[in-house]
Amino acid sequence: MTAGIPVVDSDAKARPSRPYRLAGPSWVVPVLLFLGFFFVIPLGANILRSLQTGQAATNGPLFYYIKLLTDAYYGGIIAETLKVAVISTVLCLIVGYPVAYFMVRFAGRWNTVIVFLLIAPLLTSIIMRTFGWRVLLARRGALTTLLFDWGIIPRPINLADEPFAVYLGLVHVLAPFMILSITAVLQKVDVRLEESARVLGASAFGTFFRITLPLSLDGIATGCILVFVVTCGSFLTMLLLGGGKVTTLSLLIYQQFNVAQDVGFAAAMGNLLLIIGLICLALQAKFLRRSGGKS
Amino acid sequence: MTLMGAMRASPPSTIGGASIGLPSAVSEHRTTTRGVPLQLLGISKSFGSVQALRPMTQTIEGGEMLALLGPSGCGKTTTLRIIAGFETPDHGSVVIGTHDVTELPPNKRGLGMVFQSYSLFPHMTVGENVAFGLKMRGVSAAERTTRVREMLALVRLTQHEDRQIHQLSGGQQQRIALARALVTNPSTLLLDEPLGALDKNLRERMQFELREIQHRLGITSILVTHDQEEALTMSNRVAVMSDGQVVQVGRPTDVYERPRNRFVAEFLGTANIVAGTVTAQAAERCWRVALAGEPGASALVQSDTPLAPGNTILLAVRPERIEIGPVVAGTMQALIQDVVFRGSYFAYELCVPGQDAPFFAYSQNRKDIPADRRVGLGWQPDNAIVLEDAP
Repeated sequence: MTAGIPVVDSDAKARPSRPYRLAGPSWVVPVLLFLGFFFVIPLGANILRSLQTGQAATNGPLFYYIKLLTDAYYGGIIAETLKVAVISTVLCLIVGYPVAYFMVRFAGRWNTVIVFLLIAPLLTSIIMRTFGWRVLLARRGALTTLLFDWGIIPRPINLADEPFAVYLGLVHVLAPFMILSITAVLQKVDVRLEESARVLGASAFGTFFRITLPLSLDGIATGCILVFVVTCGSFLTMLLLGGGKVTTLSLLIYQQFNVAQDVGFAAAMGNLLLIIGLICLALQAKFLRRSGGKS
Repeated sequence: MTLMGAMRASPPSTIGGASIGLPSAVSEHRTTTRGVPLQLLGISKSFGSVQALRPMTQTIEGGEMLALLGPSGCGKTTTLRIIAGFETPDHGSVVIGTHDVTELPPNKRGLGMVFQSYSLFPHMTVGENVAFGLKMRGVSAAERTTRVREMLALVRLTQHEDRQIHQLSGGQQQRIALARALVTNPSTLLLDEPLGALDKNLRERMQFELREIQHRLGITSILVTHDQEEALTMSNRVAVMSDGQVVQVGRPTDVYERPRNRFVAEFLGTANIVAGTVTAQAAERCWRVALAGEPGASALVQSDTPLAPGNTILLAVRPERIEIGPVVAGTMQALIQDVVFRGSYFAYELCVPGQDAPFFAYSQNRKDIPADRRVGLGWQPDNAIVLEDAP
């Protein structure tokens, strides 16, 4: 027959379509299974626990929740939790934005070094970092002595047991998250947009507030969510610093679970914290869409 | 003052081009700022050990468009950034009209600027972008609306006022950037590679459009570009820059037809460079030059400055000025290596004995000459450019 030329039969059965992607949808199954077993089921169990164990079994399923929301003491704890989260978020923003701006606009080749310096502390254990602050802020600690010598504090006191120490510890841990979130977005803001604004008559401040800041809102929102949620959930800092003067919901959960061993109450508090976190997330997501959705 | 004199002397020409439906209010705004000259008085700038700009003195007449043309790193962008106020010159000063603005921040200089990337604010609508400069100057909301509309009419984008920036095409973004720059009645318009991001066809259209608007408003403009065609098309004068200094300034035709040296000749278009020795004066302002590389070949060269017989000189001839003919004794000869059809002309690559680089000749003849043919090359005496470089 015909030699050499391969005969192409157009009616031959269609070539099976080969997937051109490395991963298919089935690849997420292990993760879903893992999350199902270790996140969704425990969460459900926790909700049941808060409705059925301990006093909830005797006094009605919503006993713990009613107690949490009506008792003035627990209301105060919830307010304190939100206050600590808001303040540390704002502090991180104030501390972090200038650093992020500097990194993006001026650091140049030092950027990598700064990123490393920001991340390096996260490699050490939070307990070590927090105890580090205890040492520095102790009555005869280096920082306390320095502040006393400079006349900033009237007498050497154990600063580690002041609420101030809690914020210091939180900002120390969480500022990198804020900074990295903001730099990621700020990097995409062309410096020539700022230059355009300057030529068009905007002062340096005007340029920042009308151009740079609005365009970096996405990064700010991401950073704020991260810091807020992580603060809501952290208890080690409050446990080790602040001398028990800052009591938040997560610290209370830790105490209820480990000290009072009231598992049902701890579960209820955990769920309440989760709901608070979700509400904040939803609010911020709405804000994020509104500001960042345009570009 | 001389500056004021120059300001008044600038002719109120070209405005009122009747064919264009320009809102009359625009031209009224313009008359106040039109034609302010800009002077660069010995400005220089170094970055570390690199001298980005050698002392440069240049006057841009009111209403004129000067192109700063050169390869990257020649100092043209530094010059523009000094004028805009993003860089402070190490020495020298920038004078706009009669004001020394060297120490002023960018927002106090009253300039308009268009960037290559347009730099439109992505979080604002088209209208808000155009209104930004007015807002910064405290113009009332009502007047802002009017003037934004005028400007959008000028760049023919009236319908797009409420659009988002990302909904616009490249050409539209470019026009909005221009409208935003012009709405504040700037004394000077700075254009930083304004058309660099557009595709070729659109770029050519926008070149004419931009030039027309600039012309109509009579605004003093500085165009920074590395695109020689853009510089030639759009500007009244071209300043060719290299290595931090201006090599040659002149009208586009002058710079193209009479480049001073090899760099200008080769940067602006293509040039065939050949060395030669002046043998004798042939006529008034006309000398015979023995061409290097090929014994016996000579050509006539016209020069305004006298050439001394015996001197070796460097000549440049534009490809479109080279005439291809039959081989004649005593003229330059060449072997056709390749012929390329370029639409409106044929481009010949020629191998000339004794020359390292190939020659190029463009011919408008309908019929091409096949490759490998031996031909004679010649040119009119006034088409040979005597360069300043030593051969």
